[in-house]
Amino acid sequence: MKSGPFAFVRTTTFRLALVYSVLFGLFSFLLLAYLFQATVGSLRAEADQRLDAEMRALGLAYNAGGLERLEQSVIERALVPGAPFRYQLETPDGERIIGDFPYLPVSPPETVGEVSMVSLSIEMPRGDGASTVTEAEGRIVRLTNGNVLLVAIETGERGRIVRRITQAVTTAAPIGILLALIGGVFISRYAARRAEQLTRTTEAIVAGDLSVRAPVAGSGDEFDRLAQHLNTMLERLERLMASTRHAGDAIAHDLRSPLSRLRNRLEGALISPMSEESARDTLENTVLEVDRVLQTFNAILRLSRLDAGAEGRMVKFDIHDLMTEMADLYEPACEDAGLTFKSDIGTGLMVLGDRDLIAQAVSNLLDNAVKYTPTGGSIRFLVRRGSSDIAITVADDGPGIPEHQREHAKERFFRLDGARTQPGSGLGLALADAVAELHKGHLDLLWTDPPPEPRGLKAVLTLPRDR
Amino acid sequence: MRVLVIEDDREHATFINKVLSEAGHDVETAYDGANGLALARDGEFDAMVVDRMLPEKDGLKLVEEYRTGGGQTPALFLSALSDVENRVEGLKVGADDYLAKPFAPAELAARVEALGRRQVKDEPPVTKLKVGDLEMDLLARKVWRADQKIDLQPREFRLLEFLMRHAGQVVTRTMLLEKVWDYHFDPQTNVIDVHVSRLRAKIDKDFDEPLLQTVRGAGYCLQA
Repeated sequence: MKSGPFAFVRTTTFRLALVYSVLFGLFSFLLLAYLFQATVGSLRAEADQRLDAEMRALGLAYNAGGLERLEQSVIERALVPGAPFRYQLETPDGERIIGDFPYLPVSPPETVGEVSMVSLSIEMPRGDGASTVTEAEGRIVRLTNGNVLLVAIETGERGRIVRRITQAVTTAAPIGILLALIGGVFISRYAARRAEQLTRTTEAIVAGDLSVRAPVAGSGDEFDRLAQHLNTMLERLERLMASTRHAGDAIAHDLRSPLSRLRNRLEGALISPMSEESARDTLENTVLEVDRVLQTFNAILRLSRLDAGAEGRMVKFDIHDLMTEMADLYEPACEDAGLTFKSDIGTGLMVLGDRDLIAQAVSNLLDNAVKYTPTGGSIRFLVRRGSSDIAITVADDGPGIPEHQREHAKERFFRLDGARTQPGSGLGLALADAVAELHKGHLDLLWTDPPPEPRGLKAVLTLPRDR
Repeated sequence: MRVLVIEDDREHATFINKVLSEAGHDVETAYDGANGLALARDGEFDAMVVDRMLPEKDGLKLVEEYRTGGGQTPALFLSALSDVENRVEGLKVGADDYLAKPFAPAELAARVEALGRRQVKDEPPVTKLKVGDLEMDLLARKVWRADQKIDLQPREFRLLEFLMRHAGQVVTRTMLLEKVWDYHFDPQTNVIDVHVSRLRAKIDKDFDEPLLQTVRGAGYCLQA
C-alpha cells in the first residue's frame, strides 16, 4: 500500500464508509422530506383549501349577478371587521376600487379568468406607528372586464413555523451528510491504520524477521483478535524454526559421533586381519549400532512431526486399560532388573488423545526408570484422576535430576553426565514433553523424595481430562 | 513359497531377493508398478512385497487395483513411509502387513513367512492349536504340555497363541509388540525379551525338549 495523506481513499474501509455516508445522507434527506411534508405541507394545504372555498363563493356570486354582483360581494366582505381574508380590487390601470392594500403587492396575470397562486407579505400598521409584517397566501385573477382581484389569507404564526422548519430542514440535511462523511473518513482511517500495522508486520515476516509482533491495542475488537492470532501463529512459527535449527544442530552433533565410531570400527576391521568369529562379532555390533542410530533418527523424525503438529489422531478414550497394559508390559522387566514395581491405576481416566503417542511417552518414562534405578531400588507407577486432569507418575529411586538441569533434561539430545555411558538417544524426555504439549498437558520433573535428602526422579505427565 | 517383489531400486530389489531366496523362497522381481500389477495378476504367487513409491503406478494404487480385481495373494508393504498414518493407509487399501525401511532382513523374512502361512482359506475357525506335545484350547483358554496343565496369565496366553499360530516361523520382537500388544514403537529396554523368557520358563523349564528358541539377531521361533 502506498502511503501519503490520501492513501486511505483507496482502502476498502474508506469505500465502505463512503457508501455508508451516502446512504446515511439519503435516509436523512427522505426523513426530512417527510417531516417537511407532514408540517409545512399540511399547513399550506389548509390555507389553500380555505382560499379555494372563498374563490368558489365569489364565483357563485359572479354566476348569480355577473361582475357587478361579484364586485359588490367583494366590497361587502372586505368591509366586515375581523374577516380572515384580505381583498384588493383594482382597475386595469392599477387604480384601487376597494381593498386592504395601498397598492397591489404582486403583478397580476395577463390572461382573463386565469387564477394564479401567490405568496406575499402583508404589512399591517400597529397602534404605536410601527407595523408588523405577516405572511400570506393568495389567489389573484383578472376578471372579464379587465379588473384585477386579489384574495389573500394570512398564515401568520403558522407561516413563521413553516419558514423556520423549511430553514431547519435545508440547513440540517447538508450538515448531516457532511458529518456522516467526516465520521466515515475518521472511522476508515482508524481501520486503515490498524490494517496497515498488520500489513507492516507481515511484510517484516516476509522479509525474514520472525521476532516482530503485531501491535495489540487492547480494545478487544476484531483487529486485536486478528493481531493476537497472528502473534500466536508467529510464536509457533518461531518455535518451529528454532526447533528445526536445533534438531539440525543436534543431528549433526549427536549422530556424527556414533557414525564416526561405526566408521572407525569398520575401517579397523578392514585393516587388521581377523578370525571369522571376531569378524562376525564386529559385524553384529555394527548392526546393533546402526539400529541405535536408526532408532534415534526415527525419534528425531517423530519429534519434528510432533512439533509441526502433523502427528496425533485424537480420539476420546479411557486410558485405564492402556496404562494397565503398560504396567503389565514393564513389570517383568523391572523384576528382572531386581527392582520392585508398584502400580496403582485409577479408573475413569477419559482423555482426548493419541493412544500410540501417549503409550510411547509413558514407555519412555518407564524405560528411563528401569535404566537408571540401581538394583534393589523400586519404581512406582501411579495414574490418578485430578479435578481437571490426569496425572501419570513414574517415580524411581535413581539419582534423579538436579533442579537446575530439569528444563535442559527436556531438551533434545540433552544427557546428564551420568547417563552418557548408558545407551539412549537423549530424546526420551523430549518426546514425552512434546507429546504432553500436543495434548495441552505438561511434563514435570521432580524429586521422588523431597529435600533435605533429595533422591530419585519423579516424572509426572499431566494430560487434560475429557469429560 | 513363490514371492513377488515389486521394487524400483535395483540394489534394494537385489537385497530383498537375496534375503527371501536364502529363506528358501522362489522370488520374482518387477521394477515398476505397471509390470508388477501384471505379474501379480498372471503369476501364481503366495505372497508379494510391494514398495510404495514406484514408477508407472504407485504401490498403494497397485494393491488397491489388484484387490478390486479380485486378487487374493497376501501383500506386504515395504516402505520408507513409516508413520502410523502411512501404515493405516496401506492396510486400508488391502495390504496384509507393513514394514518400514530400513528393515532387518530377519524381520522381512519372518513377516513374509507369516503372510504365506496365513493363506489357507475356508477352514473352520481353529479352536485347538498343537505344536509338538504343547496343546492349546482356545475356547477353554487352557494349555497343556505332555498332558501337564500349564497356568498362564492372559497376556502370556496371547503371546503363546501368536507363537503357536506362527509355529516354525521366526517371529520378531517388533511383530510381537505390534500383534500381541498393539504398540507401534520400539521400547528402549528389553521388555519383550523378559516376557518371552517368562513364558519359556513356564512351557520349557520342566521338559527335556525346549520348544521356544531364540533366533540370534532376529527374534524367536516356536518349533517342535
